[in-house]
Amino acid sequence: MNLKKNVYPLMLALIMVVLVGCTSADDRHSKTQTDTKNEDKILTIGWPLDVGPLNPHTYLPNQMTAQAMVYESLVAYNDDGTISPKLAESWDISDDKTAYVFHLRQDVNYSDGTVFNADNVIRNFDAVLANRDMHSWMGMVNHIKEVVKVDDFTVRLQLDEPYYPVLNELAFVRPFRFLGDNGFPQQDATYESIQAPIGTGPWVLTDYKKDEYALFSRNENYWGEKPLVNQVKVKIIPDSESISLAFENEELDVIYGRGIISLDNYTFLKDSGKYKTAISEPLSTRALLFNTQSGPLAELNVRQAIQYAINKDQMVESITHGTEKVANTLFWDAIPYANIELTPILFNPEKAKQLLDEAGWLLKEGEKVRAKNGERLELDLIYIATDAIQKPMAELMQGELAKIGVQLNLEGADVMVGLQKLMENQVDINFWRTNGPPTDPHSFANESATPNASGVYEAKLGLPNAAEMDEKIHQLLIGTDEVERVQYYKDILTMLHDQALFYPISYETNNVIYHEYVKDFLPRASEYDIPFAQMDLGN
Amino acid sequence: MYESTWLFCLKRIITLPFVLVGVSLITFIFVRFVPVEPAEVILRLSRIAPTPEAIQALREELGTDKPMFIQYIIWLKGVLAFDFGTSFVSKLPVGQEIFAKLPATIELAFAAFSLIIGCSIPLGVISALYKNSIVDKFVGFFSIISVSIPTFWLGFLLLYIFSLKLGLFPSNGKGSLSHIVLPAVSLALPVIGLFTQSIRTSVIDELQKPYVNYAQLRGLKKRIIISRHVLKNAAIPMTTMLGMTLGNLLGGAVIVEQVFSWPGLGRYLIESIINRDYPVVQSYVLIIAIIYVVANLCTDILQRVLDPRSAVMDRRD
Repeated sequence: MNLKKNVYPLMLALIMVVLVGCTSADDRHSKTQTDTKNEDKILTIGWPLDVGPLNPHTYLPNQMTAQAMVYESLVAYNDDGTISPKLAESWDISDDKTAYVFHLRQDVNYSDGTVFNADNVIRNFDAVLANRDMHSWMGMVNHIKEVVKVDDFTVRLQLDEPYYPVLNELAFVRPFRFLGDNGFPQQDATYESIQAPIGTGPWVLTDYKKDEYALFSRNENYWGEKPLVNQVKVKIIPDSESISLAFENEELDVIYGRGIISLDNYTFLKDSGKYKTAISEPLSTRALLFNTQSGPLAELNVRQAIQYAINKDQMVESITHGTEKVANTLFWDAIPYANIELTPILFNPEKAKQLLDEAGWLLKEGEKVRAKNGERLELDLIYIATDAIQKPMAELMQGELAKIGVQLNLEGADVMVGLQKLMENQVDINFWRTNGPPTDPHSFANESATPNASGVYEAKLGLPNAAEMDEKIHQLLIGTDEVERVQYYKDILTMLHDQALFYPISYETNNVIYHEYVKDFLPRASEYDIPFAQMDLGN
Repeated sequence: MYESTWLFCLKRIITLPFVLVGVSLITFIFVRFVPVEPAEVILRLSRIAPTPEAIQALREELGTDKPMFIQYIIWLKGVLAFDFGTSFVSKLPVGQEIFAKLPATIELAFAAFSLIIGCSIPLGVISALYKNSIVDKFVGFFSIISVSIPTFWLGFLLLYIFSLKLGLFPSNGKGSLSHIVLPAVSLALPVIGLFTQSIRTSVIDELQKPYVNYAQLRGLKKRIIISRHVLKNAAIPMTTMLGMTLGNLLGGAVIVEQVFSWPGLGRYLIESIINRDYPVVQSYVLIIAIIYVVANLCTDILQRVLDPRSAVMDRRD
């Protein structure tokens, strides 16, 4: 009796105090957010990592999406693979293809009001090239001889030999983007740090709390079309489930990007019917990379049999819920030079069995795994243990291959481990993906011929025409004849397809989901360039 | 009594540096067991082809090209001068980064700790006083459930109910008092269950001791007996457990910080492990170890002060 008399009312009162206190706090939060949306138009988006120091010339921990908001490039890459003017109004290429003369826009000011001109462009190039080694992954860097001023708004980029993807690489989000003079540190050592993130882009960083949020305001000095919202708040939410919940809770207006939330969550939110969703054109390709250095995969028949054995359409549909498109070739058609006729390998388990039989990998009576000369047809596949797509795909493929007598052993690993194991010939199959625009297909070509770069060089060592492919890659990068280049790409991509070095699975996309009050916009087929300028909030 | 306590403290303090050197050495070696070295990881994450030349250049820059023993000595010398090295990724001083994030983690740990104390003591005492009643059974059931729920799942469950469905709390970030409620509850709840049962057992044990009967015979009110005598005696075995809990909370905050986007040390650690940022991981473990060891020392001392008999027991042992 005493218990009821004393303890229950006390506990009830305590709970009420806590709940009432918190409810009022939360009401304030929601109301403020709504008011702000209507008056100041703040668009809030979630991102798993802190935006970083916003240094345009360096890499980690800078986030490319944030760098692209503040800094701009000389030229822009479009979703259809074309290049258009940006900070350079136009450009001329010399007949020998070694000199690029850029005519700069004359109406561009940095967010602090200073002028964008040839001196500033050269200062930025010099700062980047002071650390040439760090940027040597970008083929152009190895070919730049000098960057000289022609007049106040004209610069000439001189190469030592032709290198055709110059414009594509200049369009990339880093390192060739431009920092205002007042943002440079002492001795222009931008490699170390910068004074302030001053760019010509549509956004300016106005408030920042590391690992919590970054608030970007509209750059009132912006030369181009001004964004429709006043501010973009990037909330740092490392967990993808938490991003989904924050979105449902209207703490975020938009979820944008590849892998920001799981595809299960994306489908759940989409199917709820409460939100608007959109999918971009394909940006990169999800594939398997076969190690041909040794083991059963050194045989073409085995590689092809695996491709015939898996019902790819069903796998992609069931695991990605239709957010990715089935890939039958290594590159999507809109990737430059990749729109070529190739015969796809379609699901045909009988054909798979026939190929294995022909290669001498036979299934004995009562056995479940094929064998040849006493060796069982066992293959190791490594996947990223934390990847929500790779694991179910690996498991599904394991089941499919078991039906044709191939044992697939699965190993979940850290993101870096799989690649290293493949390069060291310790694993048979690894998940792999293309870089996507604007650097494909030339970055793919470049990496494929470079040891230790992406594993492709090592994986193709067992192919009979590996050396021929490397030679063609070298020629296509330095060649000046466009017709020849088209032919080189066609030859290389056809060889790779015929040799079944890759098993293309799906084309990845940017998935976007947003609230009803956000006006429609088109997602871009670019991993880093989020079209904030097109986004708007309703009244 | 005072002399022996001082001697006890002195002995424990003298052993501290050895414990910490051991911890630092083990961490230093274990971190390097992770496959794929930092130079390669950093290059790959930066989309730079890790050619042997690029890897070697970065190794020299990071200092990972030196023999492991030399690397350890350099790092340890730095730590003794409160220089925890420079992050491989952010290029910022690790000490500065850690001490900038540590307050958020401590804030969360203390909020959880307060909840543990505030909830488990009353629940444990009520449960003991009304042993075998419906309330006791309910508290027992709650304790089993709370101990069994994995922290990350509990976090999402609380987010779903209290943030999404009821709209009572924000789902992420740090700022107002309401931001800390859900992460603190997620961190505290499993420990509350454990503590409630321990306190219940201790209080029941104490209630059966003769001094309680004597106090009742002296006519003391039950409230006085519980608050002045039973609780004080029951608290002694709990002090060590509480001290260890504080260390566990700091370490356990890693998952909770991830779920609730709490900008503390835990998230920094996760990113650093992925990036193979050795100086950060080493320094994090060392600092958490220092806090853990010091918390344990303090609770041991507190236990001595509260119960001088333990000194005699130690000598017998």
